[in-house]
Amino acid sequence: MGHPKDRSGLTRRQLLRRGAGAALAVGGAGVLAGCENTTEPIGASAAGPGGEAGKLVVAKPVGPGGLPLPRPDNAVTWAITPENQPIADGRSIERGPLSVYNYADYLDPATLKKFQKEFGATVKIATYNSADEAIAKLAAGAVAFDVIVGLTGSNIVNLIAQKLLQPLNHSYLANLPKNIWPELQDPFYDRGSRYTVPYVVWMDGIGWRNDKLREDVAGMDVPWDIFWHSQPYRGKVGVLDDKRDALSMPLQRDAMRTGTRPDLNTEDSALIAKAGDDLSQLNGICNVKVTITDYQTLPEGKTVLHHAWSGDLLSGAIYYMPSGVKPDVLSFWGPDQNGVVQNDFLCIGKAAKNPVLAHKFLDFMLNEANAYANFVNYVGYTPPQNAIDAEALIRRGLIPKTLAGAVVRPDQFAANQELLQLTVEGERHWDQAWSKFKAG
Amino acid sequence: MGSRWTWRFLALPGVLWLGVFFLVSFYAVLCVAFGNQDSLSQPVPFWNPLDWNVGYVLEVLRNFWHGDQFLTVSLRTVEFVAIAMALSLLIGYPVAYFAARHSGRWKGLVLVLLIIPFWINYLMRMLAWINLLSPDGWGTRVLHNIGIEQLFLWTGLLSARGGWLDGQPSAVIIAFVYGYVPFLILPLFVALDRIDQRHIEAARDLGASRASAFLRVTLPLSVPGILAGCVLVALPMFGDYYTPDLVSASTKTNLIGNQIDQFTRQGSEKVVGAVLTMLLAIVLLALMFYYLRATRRAGEEAAA
Repeated sequence: MGHPKDRSGLTRRQLLRRGAGAALAVGGAGVLAGCENTTEPIGASAAGPGGEAGKLVVAKPVGPGGLPLPRPDNAVTWAITPENQPIADGRSIERGPLSVYNYADYLDPATLKKFQKEFGATVKIATYNSADEAIAKLAAGAVAFDVIVGLTGSNIVNLIAQKLLQPLNHSYLANLPKNIWPELQDPFYDRGSRYTVPYVVWMDGIGWRNDKLREDVAGMDVPWDIFWHSQPYRGKVGVLDDKRDALSMPLQRDAMRTGTRPDLNTEDSALIAKAGDDLSQLNGICNVKVTITDYQTLPEGKTVLHHAWSGDLLSGAIYYMPSGVKPDVLSFWGPDQNGVVQNDFLCIGKAAKNPVLAHKFLDFMLNEANAYANFVNYVGYTPPQNAIDAEALIRRGLIPKTLAGAVVRPDQFAANQELLQLTVEGERHWDQAWSKFKAG
Repeated sequence: MGSRWTWRFLALPGVLWLGVFFLVSFYAVLCVAFGNQDSLSQPVPFWNPLDWNVGYVLEVLRNFWHGDQFLTVSLRTVEFVAIAMALSLLIGYPVAYFAARHSGRWKGLVLVLLIIPFWINYLMRMLAWINLLSPDGWGTRVLHNIGIEQLFLWTGLLSARGGWLDGQPSAVIIAFVYGYVPFLILPLFVALDRIDQRHIEAARDLGASRASAFLRVTLPLSVPGILAGCVLVALPMFGDYYTPDLVSASTKTNLIGNQIDQFTRQGSEKVVGAVLTMLLAIVLLALMFYYLRATRRAGEEAAA
């Protein structure tokens, strides 16, 4: 038995093994007779105070291996264990090459070049397409990455549970306290920034072509309603192809209508199913598309209204405007509260070959000028730097006024919610609702 | 004796290749489908068939039984593939027939022209269509000018002028036909080219008209080619998910391949993805067996 097993399954299999099952097992019928029949994940039992003591606390969600699932009201400090210590102070910098694991096109090549010049080390980038893929490859341990870019608070439990990160030594990270929003110096998912530092933040909102839409989306009582009134734009309307983001949208709409605060990390199957049904209405209303190519289709006019990540609109305005179309035809609205925000962080791989250089890279990206260049010249997602704000960018003519809303503000970040890791059972409800919606 | 062993030895790399990249990987899919997942939502394959867990397979089968989303997308997939296959045959047969029977000394050139689309990556060809069919694209203009757009609007296959990319099932089917039709033409060309000209001459000598010689001699003799071509286009279409994603991305064109992609690549329920993969493979295997039986029978009839 190489794998841990579900308890109920064990007894059935033991029965099979001990009894006359051995004879049966030869035939196909035997195989079937011995099969377990369960969809309860392995090792899903919760940790935490049990028995009488358990009744005295409000239960907190529990993730892999009984680790706590961080929530704003359940901040987590990850331990630094004896076998996984941060590097010592004042070590000399390795010569590289620095291996970085990142989404495609998520670091400005010119900024990278500057780093290479400053530290005399080359940077090698490998890319991944989804957080799932990244964690699976990191866990397989085929490559020892120095720096990992782009994972979020929803991945941290996995990263810690599988011991994929090394703790940071803040003596190398002078720019963290100097430049970064205070709330992100000490995030609830990693108190004390022991394993991660912020890279860029973004939020979910609505991107639209103000030259094609008659409605004043940002001025509506509930701007999300625009999707349910998008008959005139049939075939040119999209939602993000991401189950958590997309299903959160109807949840936000309902909450906004009733003036309540939604729980975007809910595991209530009825709520999630309703969100799926609401989203499915869009099939009839506008034959909704499910894509993440809005940064390209909105500038090109192939879509005119799209559920969007804030950075998509900015990178669309920077890079994808066809000739003759001005970037100020793009508009973005994001909620001030109760919406979706996320912080993509930087971290260092446990088996990093260049840990000092990796720390230097983190600090380099936290530097105001570098973060700024990376943001406005390439990535389009906002670094949580104290000195960067939308007004300044508009004044300098870097982004059109219509996209001021796509630059995430600290107060907005604080009042919105991060999409966080759920229990396996919770994930399943979201997966099912999403699969149903996508089946049309 | 020695030569027999030489041939067996030469077959070894191919057998190993198939063994490792098909049988072993398919067994891995089975072990995931009949496995479980851990509390990180990562699949835990059960390598020993005696340990297999049918929970997820039953869950998916229940979904089909209750007529939920998996049945919806499966029926849609069958519908799309059937229509695309029929259209491919309608387009491909005359082309293959012409190339095999009437192109004379240009046969080589015609064959090269048929193979040329293979030189360009499938994704590139699809991306080209996206530009051609965008509202102000060249393709859209041509289709408008020659009246095909009007025909599609009239038959309800297109919902708005210039709206080819607005999430239309017809656009996905057209893309399927365009992308896969060469796979149908080539085996058909080979089958038609192999038909002994004397059979047709004999039919004509015995008083058959052109049409009846075609219907009673050429067509039956080309059945193995038709079947081979249909299988070759149907198999990749059944698993295709990027074509509907590229030319439509609408939920109305979500196919079984998209669901598998969603569960295995984006979702947390990779076990469900493996179950769907396994079920699709079983259906395709059944189709393959039908094809093998049909061609063997056709071969026996031809020999008789």
